[in-house]
Amino acid sequence: MDEVYRLNYQGLEDLELLAKIGDQDREALATLYERYGRRVFALAVRILNDHVGAEEVTQDVFMSVWRRGATYTKKKGKFTTWMFSIAHNRTIDELRKRRRDRSRENEDIDDHWDIKSGDISPPDAAVAQSEYAKIRAAMENLPEEQKTVVELSYFKGLTQTEIATKTGQPLGTVKTRMRLALKKLRTALSAEMGAQA
Amino acid sequence: MTDSREITEDNENMDPRFENLAAYALNSLDSDDERKAVEALIESDNAALAELNELSESAELLATSAPPVAPPAHLKANILKLAAEESAPSLVLLKAPWWQRAFQSRYAVSAAAAILVIVFGASLGFQNNQLGNEIDTLRSDLQAESIVVTNLQNELATTLSDSVNRVASMKSEMAVMEDEFGATTEMVVHQEEMVSELAVANDALQQALRDQIWLNYMAMNEEYQLKSWLASNTQQVSATEPAASGLLAVRFVGNEAVFQVHGLAQPKPGFAYTLWLMGNGDPRPVSQFEVSEIGSATIAFLLPEPLHVYSSVVVTQERVNGIGNDPSGTMVLSAETN
Repeated sequence: MDEVYRLNYQGLEDLELLAKIGDQDREALATLYERYGRRVFALAVRILNDHVGAEEVTQDVFMSVWRRGATYTKKKGKFTTWMFSIAHNRTIDELRKRRRDRSRENEDIDDHWDIKSGDISPPDAAVAQSEYAKIRAAMENLPEEQKTVVELSYFKGLTQTEIATKTGQPLGTVKTRMRLALKKLRTALSAEMGAQA
Repeated sequence: MTDSREITEDNENMDPRFENLAAYALNSLDSDDERKAVEALIESDNAALAELNELSESAELLATSAPPVAPPAHLKANILKLAAEESAPSLVLLKAPWWQRAFQSRYAVSAAAAILVIVFGASLGFQNNQLGNEIDTLRSDLQAESIVVTNLQNELATTLSDSVNRVASMKSEMAVMEDEFGATTEMVVHQEEMVSELAVANDALQQALRDQIWLNYMAMNEEYQLKSWLASNTQQVSATEPAASGLLAVRFVGNEAVFQVHGLAQPKPGFAYTLWLMGNGDPRPVSQFEVSEIGSATIAFLLPEPLHVYSSVVVTQERVNGIGNDPSGTMVLSAETN
């Protein structure tokens, strides 16, 4: 007698789910959404400060995965890196579009969301085990100038020339600080994971 | 563990070809030309590709540093519905049905046979003219062939008539089948819609429960002041709608706040609920938000100033992406801040 086995999608790796998406398997898409939808939505909320806009962005990101998942190759980097790159690009496009619209109306209601170093409190011991807390702590430990450059580029959507103008730094310094900040983040988190192992 | 050879801005020695890789990873390049130049570089230089992949993975870490916020419950259902619509098979021209193709084939064979017989008969007549001593025999043959042709023509007419009748009969049967199929499809679609609605409602209930648990978790573990409903820095929001209630929790240290609401009706089409901070100069719009199927929503945000400098918080309905300088829509929730 034949037996019917229900596939456990939660147990599948990202790339296995992606292969199924290539075969138009919507349950695979639902599983990827369960896995990463919350983080994509949180990123869009953090940048746009608008839940309605963040919802549209999240929908676009997962529809991009649905349409373009079959074109992903490992040469494009880790799958999550590729997907969050799509999410960030889409969100920043929306942010810049809104900024252009607002500048036409000569208003900038976004200013009051600027993050100052004092706004981010030291990581709480109770949540220090979470990935979120670890990454936030690593960001807190960046030198102030590097943190500012990352904040203005990644979360505020400014280009490197705009950052140089806004902060009064030479363009070359901005480029160096961007690179150093990213490398230090990676080093800090690798060291922490190594220490826990 | 510390890195004894830590890179600093002073000893940084970056390959000038790689100077735009970090900005590419952060989506901060100034022009399409710069982007194309980076993409050409990584296409031809494996070291550059490896460097970019490393920087991009760090950029992904930044994405994870955003405060966790739960998406609305209906978002997953919307995405799956869109995916289903995109994967539906496209319309194609159907081939002629089998009976039509069979009919066409039989007609063609019969017609060809008739033409062959006529040609054959004509050929005999021509030979009869040419061969006078065999004319009677050939005329007789020609008459016989003419009879065959006539019989074939009759048979062809009968076949054609039968086919027309069969086509009419099959069309009638197909019309009945189409009606039955249409009714069945409508039932299936209705059932699928009901299942989808139940799934959305279930998701909304689960989301509300998760939001409540998440708020409690943050209150207990992230030093939010949530000792009681009426604690000095925790605001219970009164509602003009009898079924609605809300809560604003502010962290002891820093400026992180969480706003939670239950029981709000769905806003008017084209409008969204908007949270405002009032009483410190101009009103400050915090965020527009949607509510779940059961009227719940949770927003995490950063207070521009400490809460005590504001006199009240209010929730109004404003046009989507059309927030003015002051609240202008219907006020549904409000609370004093002290």
